[in-house]
Amino acid sequence: MANTFQKQLLPWLLPLVVLIVWQVIAMLEIVSPSLFPAPTTVLESFYGLVVSGTLAEHIQISLYRAFVGLLIGGSIGLILGILNGWSKWSFFTFDTSIQMVRNIPHLALLPLAIVWLGIGETSKIFLVALGVMFPIYINTLHGIRSVDRGYVEMGRMYGLRGWQLFRHVYLPGALPSIFVGLRYALGVMWLTLIVAETIATSDGLGYLAMNARQFMQTDIIIVTIIIYALFGKLADMIAQVGEKNALRWHPNYRK
Amino acid sequence: MTNSTREHGVRINVSQLQKSFGDNEVLKDVNLTIEKGQFIAIVGKSGSGKSTLLRLVAGLEQPTSGALLFDDQTIKKTDASVTMMYQDSRLLPWKTVIDNVGLGLKGDWKDRALSVLQAVGLSEFQKEWPGTLSGGQKQRVALARALIREPDLLILDEPLSALDALTRTEMQDLIEQIWRDNQFTSLLVTHDVREAVKLADRIVLIEDGEITLDLENPLPRPRDVTDERLVALEKQVTSRILEEEPLTSH
Repeated sequence: MANTFQKQLLPWLLPLVVLIVWQVIAMLEIVSPSLFPAPTTVLESFYGLVVSGTLAEHIQISLYRAFVGLLIGGSIGLILGILNGWSKWSFFTFDTSIQMVRNIPHLALLPLAIVWLGIGETSKIFLVALGVMFPIYINTLHGIRSVDRGYVEMGRMYGLRGWQLFRHVYLPGALPSIFVGLRYALGVMWLTLIVAETIATSDGLGYLAMNARQFMQTDIIIVTIIIYALFGKLADMIAQVGEKNALRWHPNYRK
Repeated sequence: MTNSTREHGVRINVSQLQKSFGDNEVLKDVNLTIEKGQFIAIVGKSGSGKSTLLRLVAGLEQPTSGALLFDDQTIKKTDASVTMMYQDSRLLPWKTVIDNVGLGLKGDWKDRALSVLQAVGLSEFQKEWPGTLSGGQKQRVALARALIREPDLLILDEPLSALDALTRTEMQDLIEQIWRDNQFTSLLVTHDVREAVKLADRIVLIEDGEITLDLENPLPRPRDVTDERLVALEKQVTSRILEEEPLTSH
């Protein structure tokens, strides 16, 4: 009984208290309602955006950018991580260059991306892809390299070569680390998207927030921030389910 | 346990085998013939070169010079099946027990895997993750994984040294029984002299990269460790090892 309370209800207590305090402050008009709209006002404008279909439109385009960027950047990071973990030749050819690019804050490339790729989808997807690539690359590389040599030697002894050795030994051994990279990359993905969408764009959640700022629609700004938070949590939950499922052999992930 | 009519075992011929790592000569001119189906134990202190000899025979290292032949074939050309048990079981934690046994096998191996698991007494654990097994159970699975390939040579790299005394005795009996049923060649590397005299037909002592003792052990099986002939043999080997301690001080 105490355990259910602790696990299911307790995590939501603090957000609820914050929400109630916020509502009370707004209702007493301690601060200006245009700066600090009540939760109920936020909920109202959320409802308005849903009914008009505006919100769905913006969410759709934002999710598209996030997903395509993650797919491209994540694939490149995964492949480079595997190659460089697998082959010394590949590592010494690519790693130094990758580390140099990694050390540039990728958002600093935003002006350059706009000049080169225009203000269309390409520049935003490029930035998201660039941002998510590195955490996945580094964690994949680390994962492949930290696979127990004893397993590799045993695998060879039992006739595993090339792809078989990779599929049965290296990849499953590196998976816990790859998932750490993925979950970190999801955070970078949202961050990059928000910044990229606040500049030079005419749709997406970031645009919605920036546009609202121009008209002092604080309630809509708050709506977009909450949506970011919800999607961030949702993405992490999906990754966690995948992680739990893929790593059910691992003592740390067992129920 | 195995249904095949193929004759198991391989004759191993080691001649003038030498291995150096840099300037460090780990094995010096080792000559040894292991007969088909023989159970040979190699004993020695750590750093004596016994593990290097094992790795050479397993094909995990290349000799600096000398020859190593399996039924008169080089290791690269031999079609002898060589399997190994390690001190740590090296079961892949992300594969179930039965998938560990069938690792790298092609075709329909599930039934064979089940029957070897039965032979080591673990068939009811086939769906478990290795992480849930005890040390002794893990080594049984590792033994099953080695046996399903119907080895001609089974290399045992101190596979029992991490187990408790009771489990170790049980495993020794199991290994001996399976070896007697299948008659493959067995190469046991151990620092436990009692284990060597209990299991092996022949005990070879390696000291400082050279074979310094080569003893036949014709005692009838199954052997009892309290048998005085066995105890005498154990004493003989142990005292020979201790004799080699440098007596003069620096």
